[in-house]
Amino acid sequence: MNNSTQTLNPFDKLLDLTCFTPLGLLSLLVLAILPMVPPFNQEYLIRWLISAAFIASMAIAFDFTAGLINIVNFGYCAIMGLGAYTSAILVERLGLSPWLGMLAGGLAAAGMGLMIGMITLRLRGIFAACLAWFFGLALMGLATKLVWLTRGPMGMRVDRLFDTPSNVPFYYLLLAMMVIIYITCKWVTRTHMGVAFMAIGQNMEAARTSGIDPVFYRVSNFVLSCAIGGVLGGFYAHYYGILTPDIMHTSKTVEVLAVAYIGGRGSLWGGAAIAFPFIFAMELIRSSLSDLPGINLVLYGLLLIMVMIYYPGGFAQFFNTYFRQTGNKMASYLFNGVAADTK
Amino acid sequence: MFQMIQKSFWEQVRKFNSLAGISIIITIVVALAATIDRGGYLLVNTIVTGGMLALVSMGLALTLGVLNIPMFAHGEFFMIGTLVGYYVFNAISAYVGSHPESSLVFWGPMLTIVAAMIIGAVAGVITELLIFRQLRKRSRENWVMNAFLLTVGLSVVLVNGHQLFFGADFKGIVGYYSGPSLAIMDVYISRDRVFALIVAAVVVALFWFFMTYTRTGRAIRAVSQDETGALIVGIGLNGILMLTMSLSCALAAIAGAGLLFMYPSYPSIGLEPLYMAWFVVILAGLGNVLGAVMCSFMVALLKVLTIEYIGSGWDFVVPSILIILILIFKPSGIFGSEVRGVLDK
Repeated sequence: MNNSTQTLNPFDKLLDLTCFTPLGLLSLLVLAILPMVPPFNQEYLIRWLISAAFIASMAIAFDFTAGLINIVNFGYCAIMGLGAYTSAILVERLGLSPWLGMLAGGLAAAGMGLMIGMITLRLRGIFAACLAWFFGLALMGLATKLVWLTRGPMGMRVDRLFDTPSNVPFYYLLLAMMVIIYITCKWVTRTHMGVAFMAIGQNMEAARTSGIDPVFYRVSNFVLSCAIGGVLGGFYAHYYGILTPDIMHTSKTVEVLAVAYIGGRGSLWGGAAIAFPFIFAMELIRSSLSDLPGINLVLYGLLLIMVMIYYPGGFAQFFNTYFRQTGNKMASYLFNGVAADTK
Repeated sequence: MFQMIQKSFWEQVRKFNSLAGISIIITIVVALAATIDRGGYLLVNTIVTGGMLALVSMGLALTLGVLNIPMFAHGEFFMIGTLVGYYVFNAISAYVGSHPESSLVFWGPMLTIVAAMIIGAVAGVITELLIFRQLRKRSRENWVMNAFLLTVGLSVVLVNGHQLFFGADFKGIVGYYSGPSLAIMDVYISRDRVFALIVAAVVVALFWFFMTYTRTGRAIRAVSQDETGALIVGIGLNGILMLTMSLSCALAAIAGAGLLFMYPSYPSIGLEPLYMAWFVVILAGLGNVLGAVMCSFMVALLKVLTIEYIGSGWDFVVPSILIILILIFKPSGIFGSEVRGVLDK
């Protein structure tokens, strides 16, 4: 839409560099000041915010694989759990600093991603998803059975990252991580790599014919997505302070998957945008209808089904159709920013 | 007809010098060796688990092959089977308690299975009409992935619907048939296991006969090979798709009701059969129904041996690693063909 020869003012340049639209930046600011606004400054609401931000970050990284190269990494939470356990074990047994532990978790997860990426190379679509799923099952089984290392289902005690009872610093750290993850993923999609990813996701044969090497791109996509998952897993371990193999369960992956797809596949920001209202609605339904256990999950399954049948593009497509095409100049700037392909 | 059966039998035998044949022979040898090492109950366990697994994974293979749906909610139809089995059998045993002479003592469990089958089939029809037909009407592009995500949502709804309406507690029965275990050459088999085995054998045989020798079965196979071609020769596609869906759900429900004495009904009971059925289907090659029967016994043997020699809890780790290894060298599965279908996309 916009040509880059036009000179941008510094604010727009910054926005362009960080891949945010004015609205995106605004919502980020709202999220940043939310823990100080009265109804949200209670501990349990901050905990909801953290879990929403966590799901949002996971959804971004998940969408990086699922939306771009069109392979559902169905063992994603198991890889996140691998990162969490690596970090926790290094910190608890070797006395490493939690920050280094998180990085190590990311490295371990990246290694796993490299392995899964290499193995699923020959497989496509649903085969690859299943193979990643079986990897996840095997990892979860290992975490349950290697009791001497992980203490199995009894749970492993982990030191928290910050030595305070308050959850606010965790929230800001996670928010910063979310922004960094978003910018990283968005930067990658802007380079020629992102174009290659999308080509592979849409039609692998055609991509191969036009000279794109699927081996390199698929594996590097997996590695990046899994590495982010591992770092997030490290955060999870040092935030909750207790780690059980349950976090590797398929149902957790399903949660991330639902958020990513309801948000809109391939958009990266859709999942993050939808995660906050979604998690809050779920928690509200659960706490207000506590005599009907499971109703929130029934509703969320129904929502996933509805979105898949009637609106496969998810929230991102809805937003792009009804908000971005507006004629109002002010609103258009708010929703689109100056550069066209940003959040 | 006898000649036809004989012919197809010899065709099967000729395949034996392929990978499929080798793996079947290895399975049989390993099963015999383990039986000699640890006793006959291993073999019995393998056959009972494998038989029921065959029912679940046949249904899964059918939905994959005919409807092109990677069904993630298949375990939930197993769960529906256990639920129906629990309520029907409790009603029957209450009646039997007051009328001990009635013939329901013998026929009750079979009635339970039939009830589960009918409810499972109805559930399959409802699923097809309400969900998959709607999706099919709207889009066929990227069908496999969309259908997969739909079934994920369906699974969440069914699991939590069970919790919402029936509670999260264990709903189990003591057993279908009381009485002493049967003894065959020093191996004691409880009557329930024999019953489950007979049910599995009869259903697999009936199903195989249905798929091979009836017009409807041939139509289903035709649709699985080429949808457009099937339409051209005058096969009603919608009817076949609905029938297939209800058939595969009914198979899963039969397995659920048949194994009620081992697996009490609770919301997430379907997860384990689902994992196992996916192992089988991937191992057999997607959509291969007869291969799925053979592979069920292989996976069941693998599971039983893992529990016996390594310990319980490892039965997800070892089979999944083994299957990953097999898939690395043979991506299309043991019985799979190299032909690329819609599922590869």
